[in-house]
Amino acid sequence: MSTSAPETVLRVASLSAYYGELRAIYDCSLELARGDVLAVIGANGAGKSTLLKSIVGLMNHGARSHLRGLVEFEGRRIDKLGPEEIVDAGIALVPEGRRLFDRMSVEDNLLAGAYLARCRPQAAQRLAEVFELFPRLRERRRQTVSEMSGGEQQMVAIGRALMSGPKLILFDELSLGLAPVMVDEIYRKLAQIIERGVSCVIVEQDLKRALASSTRFCVMLEGSIVLEGRPGEVPMEAITAAYFGAGEARQA
Amino acid sequence: MSNDDLYWLGVEIANGVLSGAVLGGSYALISVGLALNFGVMRLVNLSHGDWLIVAAYLCVALLTMIPGVAPFWALAVVVPLMFGVGYLVQRVLLNHVSVQAAERRGMSPLYGLMLPLLVTFGLSIVLSQGMLLVFSSDAATIRNELSYSAIRLSADLSLSTLRFGFFCAAAVLLAALALWMRSTHIGRAIRAASDDAEVAALMGMRTSHVYGVASGVALASASIAGFMVGMTRSFQPFDGPPFLLTAFGVVVLGGLGSLWGSFVGGVLLGVVQVLAGTYAGPAAQQVAGYLLILFVLAVRPQGLFAR
Repeated sequence: MSTSAPETVLRVASLSAYYGELRAIYDCSLELARGDVLAVIGANGAGKSTLLKSIVGLMNHGARSHLRGLVEFEGRRIDKLGPEEIVDAGIALVPEGRRLFDRMSVEDNLLAGAYLARCRPQAAQRLAEVFELFPRLRERRRQTVSEMSGGEQQMVAIGRALMSGPKLILFDELSLGLAPVMVDEIYRKLAQIIERGVSCVIVEQDLKRALASSTRFCVMLEGSIVLEGRPGEVPMEAITAAYFGAGEARQA
Repeated sequence: MSNDDLYWLGVEIANGVLSGAVLGGSYALISVGLALNFGVMRLVNLSHGDWLIVAAYLCVALLTMIPGVAPFWALAVVVPLMFGVGYLVQRVLLNHVSVQAAERRGMSPLYGLMLPLLVTFGLSIVLSQGMLLVFSSDAATIRNELSYSAIRLSADLSLSTLRFGFFCAAAVLLAALALWMRSTHIGRAIRAASDDAEVAALMGMRTSHVYGVASGVALASASIAGFMVGMTRSFQPFDGPPFLLTAFGVVVLGGLGSLWGSFVGGVLLGVVQVLAGTYAGPAAQQVAGYLLILFVLAVRPQGLFAR
């Protein structure tokens, strides 16, 4: 079935996604090796969030939205699966705007992330690991999340994704709306998560930060991937040009 | 006013409050399922009252088949059975006519709001006609020795044993339900799915299954309420809708979907009804209940315990 190399974790090939008749992303292809951190950059409305939603199964939704093309995770086709099955396969999403369960406590939000049958036996251990990564959450474990600051909520959202023991985490707008100090802290934690060998895709508005913390990047423009490469290997002018849609720089 | 008069006024009020509160416990029991349906799935289940009567008939049928056992044992069969029925009805029928299902099919959300109302209304008719067919229109009751028994608190204060028992049952059931929702994976999933179904799916929660379990629990608690109805009065196939109406009032009072709200709402409604019945005659009982609901809706439209 699979044609991808064994170390390839995620493979997206000629993927298009539609909201009804409206095409949000077009002919996107990318590959992610184990341990890779891919930064997806692009202006508002370029299709970054839609790309992530397509990977986690939120875009094959009957009449409302559908996919064309192929998504493979560890050699297995997942573009026809529902979000429940995709998280079970090992992909977790940290959604834009965090989307925590507002009326639930920190601990309940985290435990909700360990709902899967394969996660339940390790739930207590993973909870301890998340509290180790974010000690602040341990102090506030009984607090209702709607009463917390944006940064703390983002920690809960990241922790909740970690609870399912994912091999690939997709972060949608990781730093949006957070105070700069908090952004620094979140990125330090991200580095620790990456060290554990988890592959990541990061959608980020902050170009410099995205490039600094990734091993690969791609630039999206009007629903397509217009530039791909490794940070440092592609001149900054080419990246900003692709970001704003000037010039037709396409690079492997 | 003499001391004697004061004493009797006190007794009257105490009796009213006590029996009202105890009546309210049974109201709460009747309403829990509806509150759960609404709180989790935003589903207004118009067949709720009919399921109560179905459960009561099942208890009668069972106790007729196995004579000699205490009526209470019927619940050991009927509660799990109704849980299964609730799960199946949700998965086979109601999940396909929800707001989310309408959206998935590209229909307007208005259909999503109308469809469950129409379908559960249809279900209500099917259930009552079905009961008429199977059990005939003769009034039935769950035979038991406790119907006329009372607990004497003092020379002049007493409580119906059955009603008091069901008041306790309602309190225990609600506490157990709250604990279950708080501390189990599936309970957490029910809360999560009621908050944000899409993100719940991202956690690996199959919302169709989660809703099925919630509906199963709703019908299981409705069957305890049906058992209570069958023990305390006689019933016929078409007796369901008035219970729906009561449950509706209680759920509105307590705050749509709040479990503890339906307990407090039930007790409040019971006390107001009984006191109104005592001082203004039986006709005022229902009117006072609806006036209370109207008043709460005017002052606090989200209900007393809205989340």
